[in-house]
Amino acid sequence: MIRVHLAALVAACCALAFPAHAQDRIDVVTTTTDLRSLTEAVGGERVAVVSIVPAGMDAEEYQAKPQDVSRLRNARMIVRVGLDYDLWAERLLLQAGNSAIRRGGPGYVDASYGIATLEVRGMSVGPGDGHAHGNGNPHYWLDPKNAEIVTGTILEALTRLDPANARSYQANRSAFLARLQLKLAEWEAKLTSLRGMPLVAYHNSWPYFARRFRLDFVAFIEMKPGVPPSPAHLAEIIRSMRARNVKIVVREPHEPKRDVDFVAGKAGAAVVTLAASVGALPQAGDYIALFDANVAALTATAP
Amino acid sequence: MSDALALLFPPFLVAVCLVGIHAYFGIQVLARKVIFVDLALAQVAALGASVAFMLGHPAQNFTTYGYSLAFALLAAVLLAFTRTWGTRVPQEALIGVIYVVAAAAAILLIDRAPQGAEHLKQILTGNILTSGLGDVALIVPLYAAIGLLHWLLHRQMTGAGPLAWEFVFYATFGAVVTSSVAIAGVLLVFSFLIIPAAIGVMFASSLARQLAIGWIAGVITSAAGLAASFALDLPTGATMVCAFGGVLAVAGMFYPFWRGEPRAALRVAGAAARWGVAAVLAASALQLAAAPRADQPLIDLAEYLIPPLRSLYLSPAEQAAFADAGVHAERYRAEAEQLNDRERRTRTEGEALDEFSVARISSFLKSYGEMRKGEQFVMHEVRARARERIRWSAALGLLAFALLLAPVPWRQVWARLR
Ligand SMILES: [Zn+2]
Repeated sequence: MIRVHLAALVAACCALAFPAHAQDRIDVVTTTTDLRSLTEAVGGERVAVVSIVPAGMDAEEYQAKPQDVSRLRNARMIVRVGLDYDLWAERLLLQAGNSAIRRGGPGYVDASYGIATLEVRGMSVGPGDGHAHGNGNPHYWLDPKNAEIVTGTILEALTRLDPANARSYQANRSAFLARLQLKLAEWEAKLTSLRGMPLVAYHNSWPYFARRFRLDFVAFIEMKPGVPPSPAHLAEIIRSMRARNVKIVVREPHEPKRDVDFVAGKAGAAVVTLAASVGALPQAGDYIALFDANVAALTATAP
Repeated sequence: MSDALALLFPPFLVAVCLVGIHAYFGIQVLARKVIFVDLALAQVAALGASVAFMLGHPAQNFTTYGYSLAFALLAAVLLAFTRTWGTRVPQEALIGVIYVVAAAAAILLIDRAPQGAEHLKQILTGNILTSGLGDVALIVPLYAAIGLLHWLLHRQMTGAGPLAWEFVFYATFGAVVTSSVAIAGVLLVFSFLIIPAAIGVMFASSLARQLAIGWIAGVITSAAGLAASFALDLPTGATMVCAFGGVLAVAGMFYPFWRGEPRAALRVAGAAARWGVAAVLAASALQLAAAPRADQPLIDLAEYLIPPLRSLYLSPAEQAAFADAGVHAERYRAEAEQLNDRERRTRTEGEALDEFSVARISSFLKSYGEMRKGEQFVMHEVRARARERIRWSAALGLLAFALLLAPVPWRQVWARLR
């Protein structure tokens, strides 16, 4: 809490000390809070970043508002998740009619560029996968290593838009990655006790996270986005949870508590609430805090 | 099998309780012609829960339930008064307005709190599958008390007396709906309310008999719906709603026979069926003739059910190309699945894959996807060309078949033409 106040204070002082900066900041719109945090990490004081989807809302089911169009109209840069995760952004961009941030424009950033996508299944739906779109699992920001690639893409775009400050962007990114590197080692050390431990989640948001920290997500409660589980599917999950001795069920704050509690109760497992996005939990305030919060929650529940 | 029973028995008990009280209220609602009143009450109760949520009370909390109930009671006052307005504007219109305004107001309230959207959804889309004996313990005393009250007041619950009794009716109904919608969701509660009651009203005239028929139909349908959802691996609530719809359709078909006009009923049913099939055939014929390359729902369905039908219009070479592309597409799918499996296993087993190998797997998967799409395109193209070739003859054939099936009185038409 104190740190938040301090940050606000520092920000206020900076705004007072350099009033000119407030005006020539680059307006950036991101589709999600995760990309906002990463863009801020690279842009620092020189960018003003707004996320279209508010913290804690399910970005895969977002419904656009009129404000979003006007924000995009005035933006110089858009950063989106891609991989069909934020398809609704397509229509918003069309409506905004801002040629600078159109696909192929100088301010258009698809953050999935260069990411090694997991679970690609072509266009048709694979069995047992939570993602109806087969372009690969889009939750790639949950591997901290992928932040290197994403911030690299963002750096490139910012340099293109504002070459005068390229050095400062580069320095910001390097400082952020150095901090992330240290943190990653810490997280990996903390999660060694969970290595190979079988877990169940509601939605399949976790393959990248699982790969980085060597976790084993064995099943998902949801059959397809928005489709509640069938009894046969639930019975199968509960049976395999008992057989494999699954002790942890992962839930995101926006997912139905009843269904998750039901499965966990039947199989004698504990429910852990994790944030798959910055701001989904109050303690996950930025990209690094997101992993801090998740690692803390997982280690607290691990038997 | 014992697994299935253990999983399905609690929701079945919940369904029995819900059918028990809703069939009764359904008969009352049908008599008052206020079919959508439960949606309005549920939505207003959800609005109350949203207000509680915005004030910082957790979901599924006593205070939150108090807010829902208070809002539902307010709505009950409004609903009781709609009867007096109902002389000019139909009561259903006013109920609809209450529903949409409550729904919109809840959205506006919740818009400021991101987690609220999910909260609101959960109030209105309960999942009967994950309900349990705890729910039964909560609703049985409530429903028993309300049932007893209505039994004592059955002379007043006619819908024609003083407005105070109307208020009692809507208030108790509001309490029932507030609890049931949170358990089973709006769609299923609406089915519990209307369909057993409608079947009861169809086949009996005294309240006791209507109730008995409604209860039997409701309980059997719930059991069938739950079983079907398990056997066919489908979401439970939606399957049960469709089962209720199917039972109502069967009851509707049976109704004319029961009324003692079997011959007329058969004639009407036969004519309707023949017109229906003829219309579908004629539409398919037009679709094939007009746009042979577009989707042909009827032909696609027939080919999906009986694949050999394709040999009727594909040349041997085309058949071979079609089958070959199918085999290849399936092989690419299987290989991609294998690769996905391998990547999954390396997340926890053995040596972790380095970034380069993961990137390589990812690009392999993408190529498999592309190749599979290519094969599917070939299949689509072969079929589309063959259909283009036969468009006129096949369309004429279908059309002739449709005319044959349609119950047109050919003799009279012919006589008039002459
Ligand atoms: Zn997802």
